[in-house]
Amino acid sequence: MPYINNYQYYKNNGAIPEDENWGAYQYVSLSDIVNNFMLMYVGNDKLVNNVDRYTILFHAKRSIQELNYDALRNIKVLELQLGTELKMIMPPDYVSYVRMSMLINGVLIPLVENRTVMSATAYLQDNNLDIVFDSNGEIVTGTSKLDILRGDNMLYTGGGIYNNQMGYCCDGQWYFNYSIGSRYGMNTEDANMNPKFTINKESGVIDFSSGVENAFIVLEYISDGMENGDSTKITINKLAEEYVYNYLKWAVLNNKYGVQEYIVARAKKEKSATLRNTKIRLSNMHPSRLLMSLAGQDKWIK
Amino acid sequence: MFIFVKRLAMINDVRNTVLSIISKDNRGYITPDEFNLFAKQAQLEIFEQYIYSYSNSINKQNARMFGEGYTDVPKNIGEVIDEFSVLTTLTYSIPYFLPPVDYYYLERVMYNNIEAEKVSQRKISALLNSNLTAPDVSYPVYTLQETGLIVYPTTIVNNITAQYIRYPKDPVWSYTNISAGQPVFNASAFNYQDFELPLSDFANLVVKILQYAGVSIRELEVVQAAKSEEIQDSQQKQ
Repeated sequence: MPYINNYQYYKNNGAIPEDENWGAYQYVSLSDIVNNFMLMYVGNDKLVNNVDRYTILFHAKRSIQELNYDALRNIKVLELQLGTELKMIMPPDYVSYVRMSMLINGVLIPLVENRTVMSATAYLQDNNLDIVFDSNGEIVTGTSKLDILRGDNMLYTGGGIYNNQMGYCCDGQWYFNYSIGSRYGMNTEDANMNPKFTINKESGVIDFSSGVENAFIVLEYISDGMENGDSTKITINKLAEEYVYNYLKWAVLNNKYGVQEYIVARAKKEKSATLRNTKIRLSNMHPSRLLMSLAGQDKWIK
Repeated sequence: MFIFVKRLAMINDVRNTVLSIISKDNRGYITPDEFNLFAKQAQLEIFEQYIYSYSNSINKQNARMFGEGYTDVPKNIGEVIDEFSVLTTLTYSIPYFLPPVDYYYLERVMYNNIEAEKVSQRKISALLNSNLTAPDVSYPVYTLQETGLIVYPTTIVNNITAQYIRYPKDPVWSYTNISAGQPVFNASAFNYQDFELPLSDFANLVVKILQYAGVSIRELEVVQAAKSEEIQDSQQKQ
């Protein structure tokens, strides 16, 4: 990407959107990475030669994905209102979540992941409890009892100790879950009154426990940096640029026939060293931040 | 040495040299049409040799057998080949971009100043089905076949330019009249075409044409003399 003048940076030359170039200097585009690598690292007198551009493109994208997973932490934030099904469909570029919160009165309440099951696929069964098949021989599925019950949960407004708690009303009778720790002792892992969620990877949804119907859920998640396949938008922080070149060099040499092992090992070492450097750089440690943390070292914990 | 210097009407000098060698001892005579055919064949052969020489010289350079400056043989050979480099816009005829008729080697194909990469027919299906490397307007690719180039993504139907190495034009020793039983060279004729190779190939052209002419007039001595000259020349260049 060529250098731009200040007017273009601040005002995008008067075009819309005005903020198009704000902060863009931090990043280097994928096309620059590929172009620079082909120009500087590939040639008759270089370690790498006769390599297709699509090979470089593939490894460049893979390195950016890897960086997004464990070094960049470019966190995306999505807010969605839940419906009666208590499910949030994962965003299209979702790879893994960082934090889930519920927005209540302007305050973000952190939610805890429930590692037990919350949702299931139900096979339809006939009166003899035999599984029902369709004309193609496939099993007919439906909404599981687990999901129905989760959705049936209602707020009890009657009197008594269960007033204002979520419960189940069946044939005029109310049923409530045991309070945390009330029966078998508290499992501190789950000691949280806030609603819980479960990541249902296969279904591509996030299931929530009852009590969050119509609530605004804020999902912080990481993506793989592929920008939904639009390669013109793929960028990488300049602090990680050298790592990408080293990754590319290693990836090509490692998969090429006849390259001496010491050359591959050297490339691998360079890659690992720059990854470490990149992580340190991206962690953005500097004295003022350290001082901020140290300022609280003498505080008494009561 | 392959320094690219052109000599005006080199074809006439080559023909005169060839004729003077052949005419010695009354070995025979070649007509202008025969000469033109031999000249075309000789020029093509030397031209193709440049491509292979370039490849060999790169290998030698990587082995530190060539240096910089005047000893930079790959650069010199590259300059000769570059003289045949042409940039042109390709026309689209669904679903192909038609290649130039005189192309020898496609150096690069560009879409809006972005290079399109050549992909073999064997790989193109896998590439199109790949999530990470499927071609788009930022990374276009093309395949080549008899009818032309197919550029991917196929939404690209214009703005394709090609930089290519063309074949040298067929040399034509043209003449207009005959004086004393001999045709007289005419460089102003409409079909006149000089050799396009550098002056340094003068001797090569003479030797090659002599080989063909010697075969044509069934003169073994001429063929053998030309052949030995060629071998000596190639040994010097190694």
